[in-house]
Amino acid sequence: MKWWPTKGMKRFLTEMDNYPSKATVKSMNIFKRSIHIYTIDVGNSNLLNFEIKALQSAQYNTHRFGIYFADSPRHADLLIVLGSPTKNMIEPLMNTIEQMPKPFGILIVEENDEMDLELPNVVGRLKNPEPSDILGAILKIMERN
Amino acid sequence: MKILLGVFRKDINYYVVQDNGIVLTETDPADTYLPNYASVKLRDMMINSDQSVKDGDGVFDFRYGPVTSGVGEAGIYHLYTYGERILSVSIDLSYKHRNIQNRMVGLDLKSGLKMAESICGNFAFSHSLAFSKAVESAIGVNVDSKSQRLRIIALELERIYNHLYVIYQLAQTASQKVLTSHLSYLFEESLRLNKKISGSRYLKNFNDIGGIKNFDEKTLQDLKTDVQKIVNEFKDLYEWALESGNFLDRLYSTAILKSSDAMSLGITGPTLRASGIREDLRYNDPAYENLNIPIKEEGDALSRMEVRAEEIFESQRIIFNQIENFDAEINAETTEKGFGYCESPSGTMVYKIDLESQNISDVYIATPSLFAFKGIANSLVGNIFTDFQFAVESFGVNFADAAL
Repeated sequence: MKWWPTKGMKRFLTEMDNYPSKATVKSMNIFKRSIHIYTIDVGNSNLLNFEIKALQSAQYNTHRFGIYFADSPRHADLLIVLGSPTKNMIEPLMNTIEQMPKPFGILIVEENDEMDLELPNVVGRLKNPEPSDILGAILKIMERN
Repeated sequence: MKILLGVFRKDINYYVVQDNGIVLTETDPADTYLPNYASVKLRDMMINSDQSVKDGDGVFDFRYGPVTSGVGEAGIYHLYTYGERILSVSIDLSYKHRNIQNRMVGLDLKSGLKMAESICGNFAFSHSLAFSKAVESAIGVNVDSKSQRLRIIALELERIYNHLYVIYQLAQTASQKVLTSHLSYLFEESLRLNKKISGSRYLKNFNDIGGIKNFDEKTLQDLKTDVQKIVNEFKDLYEWALESGNFLDRLYSTAILKSSDAMSLGITGPTLRASGIREDLRYNDPAYENLNIPIKEEGDALSRMEVRAEEIFESQRIIFNQIENFDAEINAETTEKGFGYCESPSGTMVYKIDLESQNISDVYIATPSLFAFKGIANSLVGNIFTDFQFAVESFGVNFADAAL
């Protein structure tokens, strides 16, 4: 017996408000249907890399929101900068930002230290987030939640 | 069987040596570990910078990193290839260098512990444990039995999620989509379990100098069922994975590390045990009972995966054993003054700390990843580029741990 004729079906069945976010982010609604993300590690303690790997796990299933992880900054709409840069990583970071196609956004994810590099197009800043916080922030950037 | 892990200088050179489950300092080096001496002493941020086969007609420097999806972390692999074959490898760690050893000097103990935890996020508890053991032996604090047992449990929890991660990465590299999804699920579950126990997904701020305080013992029974669930699910997956021919084909005889090379490079942990050497710091710790730590002979990526998988089962047994005997007294292992070490998921973690009126006046840290990168460079020679990812993932190390 089908249940949706009686109970009703929302369009996005798996996308109920599971990931509310309190982060202050600038929304970019041109990416509402799909967003491609490139993550760059600039000197975090590997913890944030693990959180990004955890975000790609089955529990979060980011593909249903149209969130994809790209293999190159040239394919990406959003750059996630993990950690605060070591001296050697500042130049590669700037080069990576130059490679991003416009329009793009930068989401800064930090641990303990604060980054003050005056990067362009920063849309948000998270501190010590869990994967659900990162997902919530991305959805907020996409104007999905 | 001595393994040289570090050299630090006071008035003369002191050598940090691992010998049959104990880490100690020596003043005169024996010949057995001299091949390792120069690189350990210099602590160069460039591994194998003086390789002889760099130049020549047709030799191409394949620079991999620091911004690539293949490596993922900030560091560079220089693969010197001739055609497809890798002739030599040098690895640049300097992109992750945060100057931690110097920044730690002068800190008080609390912020020192916090900094030790933030050296490498996925070995946070090992760093924290080695640091606090070093401080405890320097100021002469006794740790109660319950805290010691909790520390063992947390260390094994860290081992479980790190090993799950390594096997998850190996499955992903071999494009085993179903296995990858299942393992990613278990990996995230194990992180959530950490949070349930310690309040942090990476067991941070859990351990403290002098023992673990504010722990609710009622959660231990839940822990037992949760660990059982994760390990049972993993057991099924692992048995299926070992039936998949095209998964095993990618791992078998890939990136072989000989036991003699492993010893002289200073490699410890599961990588050394996968090369057929029975060496583990847990053997010498009276808190562990009836250890049955797996050892494999081949030294290839498959052996390293097998050792890690079987260590997950062993970790479950250790955790159960510690929970059952939670109220029983145990004798602490005694170490040299200012000396603390533990068996992290990837090998021996050593801290040597000198204190001056409750502040850190000198610190020396030896981490397993630095040596394992030498192992990666050594084992890749003669393989082809498609084996690269398997070699890197099977060692289970990272730049954050190697470049302090």
